[in-house]
Amino acid sequence: MADDDDKGYRWETEYEKTWEELHEDESGSLKASIDDILHRAKKRLLTDRVTNVRLGMMRHLFIVVDGSSAMSDQDLKPTRLIATLKLLEFFVEEFFDQNPISQLGIIISRNKRAEVVTQLGGNPRRHVKALQTLSSQACQGEYSLQNSLELALSTLKHMPSHASREMLLIMGSLTTCDPGDVREVVKTVAKANIRCSVIGLSAEVRICKTLCQQTSGTYNVILEESHFKDLLNSHVTPAPASTTTDSSLIKMGFPHHGLGGDTEEKPSMCMCHLDSKTSEGFSTAGYFCPQCKSKYCELPIECKACGLTLVSAPHLARSYHHLFPPEPYKEFLTSDIILVGKVCCYACQIEILDPHVYVCEKCEQQFCLDCDLFAHETLHSCPGCASFRELQTVQATSLS
Amino acid sequence: METCCVVIINDKLCSSLLVIILDTNPIWWGKKRLSGEKLNLTHCVDSVAVLANSHLMLNHKNKLAVIAAHTDHSVFLYPRPPSEHTSPPKAPLDGQFEVFNQVENQLRSEIKKLIASDKQKLDEMFEPVELPSDSLVAGAMCKALCYIHRLGKECPIGETLTSRILIIKGSEDCPSQYMNFMNAVFTAQKQNIIIDACVLDADSGLLQQACDITGGTYLKIPQPLGLLQYLTWVFLPDFEMRSKMTLPPRAQVDYRAACFCHRNLIDIGYVCSVCLSIYCTFSPICSTCQTTFKILGPQKLMKKKKKI
Repeated sequence: MADDDDKGYRWETEYEKTWEELHEDESGSLKASIDDILHRAKKRLLTDRVTNVRLGMMRHLFIVVDGSSAMSDQDLKPTRLIATLKLLEFFVEEFFDQNPISQLGIIISRNKRAEVVTQLGGNPRRHVKALQTLSSQACQGEYSLQNSLELALSTLKHMPSHASREMLLIMGSLTTCDPGDVREVVKTVAKANIRCSVIGLSAEVRICKTLCQQTSGTYNVILEESHFKDLLNSHVTPAPASTTTDSSLIKMGFPHHGLGGDTEEKPSMCMCHLDSKTSEGFSTAGYFCPQCKSKYCELPIECKACGLTLVSAPHLARSYHHLFPPEPYKEFLTSDIILVGKVCCYACQIEILDPHVYVCEKCEQQFCLDCDLFAHETLHSCPGCASFRELQTVQATSLS
Repeated sequence: METCCVVIINDKLCSSLLVIILDTNPIWWGKKRLSGEKLNLTHCVDSVAVLANSHLMLNHKNKLAVIAAHTDHSVFLYPRPPSEHTSPPKAPLDGQFEVFNQVENQLRSEIKKLIASDKQKLDEMFEPVELPSDSLVAGAMCKALCYIHRLGKECPIGETLTSRILIIKGSEDCPSQYMNFMNAVFTAQKQNIIIDACVLDADSGLLQQACDITGGTYLKIPQPLGLLQYLTWVFLPDFEMRSKMTLPPRAQVDYRAACFCHRNLIDIGYVCSVCLSIYCTFSPICSTCQTTFKILGPQKLMKKKKKI
């Protein structure tokens, strides 16, 4: 079969002379040259981000973890499985931080079967706990791609049409043990509009590549642990929505938070802990559904009684930065900006000794590289633009 | 003996950074003065200086920054950027610790400069323009977070720096800064930075949310003249110490959203699945992102049932 991928295999490409990029400075140190490469890599990551596309904001993601005996390999320390679970814990936290109204579920596949570890839900703590218990379990048997896909499909196909349905498979095994024709399942998955991405821990597998191509996901094989982490992180930001995803207005409730200070109020069970044997969730405090007055102890959640999605305003606000990112800063040479005296970063007041200075085109303030990266990666707003009255009105009108 | 050693080790490793954001809105402070209120800006700056110095006194490694959130920009009052030419601090006459003296003098002189520049601007204008009565707190918060980020990087290995932000605010919330404000709050939450708020006038919904999200203390002071006492009792102790104290109870926070169309607070609303704009009634086209929506009628439900 001919490979229809455009970039071909790595061993076919020309040899990269990575050492030629390094240059010694006058004192014979490589530090400046390495720093420069790092800076450029960081900046490139930021500029690579495509803007002005529709993103799938409400994500329903299943993570399929390989639990087969291939995961007990020790090429990642201490084992592949434990390394994966550790990284996934960070991933889950990051995921909910960036996608607060999304849902996540975990599936593990071993012994030729697939089982649900956690159902789709919006509570990061539950997933992290489940991941921690998984790490004590042994890796057994073989991996089954078909069973994992079918299991995730059975839940994801019932998700509303405006939601983005996704699967992320982390696969250490090079083989899959399937009861039927896995290619048929791949077709059904593609038809159900589920975007599947695979991160391979050992080598490229043909069926995974087909799966990702047909479902417009990404397929990557890790080089080492930090590359693994980067690959996982690339799944944190929402991907562009597929054209078939509907857009609709979703009815949502913004519940009132009762603190339970009133003595006249009677304590009650919250809907999320109804099945628990402990007294957890039995109090007067909680969030009350504005439509049916059921009580929940956490948000966001879908009301079990009336089906209304319950969120709070900050949950929605947390996602806005994906939609309205700050504009990238322009790079200038420090010597061009100012001839005499010192240049100071507008945000952190540090004296800029670096030959480069970064300038926001809107507020025309100068920033150091650290603040540039911090503002774009973590803060998601420009400290300069937020500090001037004239720019406030501009921003407000451009939004409304 | 053993416990003593532990204390010393802990003492060595921890330092705490306090960033005070002071609202210096001239309109609000001016109104206060006209209405015959006893609390004025001078009094407030004095109290802040005492709080700042007490924080520095708690541990010799403690650090401090003060930022003024003004009506049209925000400025670092302390420390000043290194580009500025400053005369070496003179040794105080009464034997006061140099840093304390420096903090106090800088705060005063910088605020004087702020007010003088305002006055100059007003004089230059041909006809008086009404200045907005809200302050740019979000900008000051962004600056504070960048400063904290920088000090965190400069922190020597083995030393932990815990940071918190105290916002002392009198003027009203600025609605056009909502997104910048929330971005700053979520960043603070991510970096484990506590945001405390000391509100001098009407309750602020935004600050209540900020404190609740980051685990800080929100206090609307009942007695403006006792500002210094509230500052030292409630906001001086760090996070670990606070659990051992009887502090004012947490306020009920209103997490309802305001719709984009009328700015009303709503219980049940409609959210655009593409850009997450909030509307109070169903509309066929999203006014923010111009998406046309499918109308979820009974037909759709029928289809769904067939699928299953």
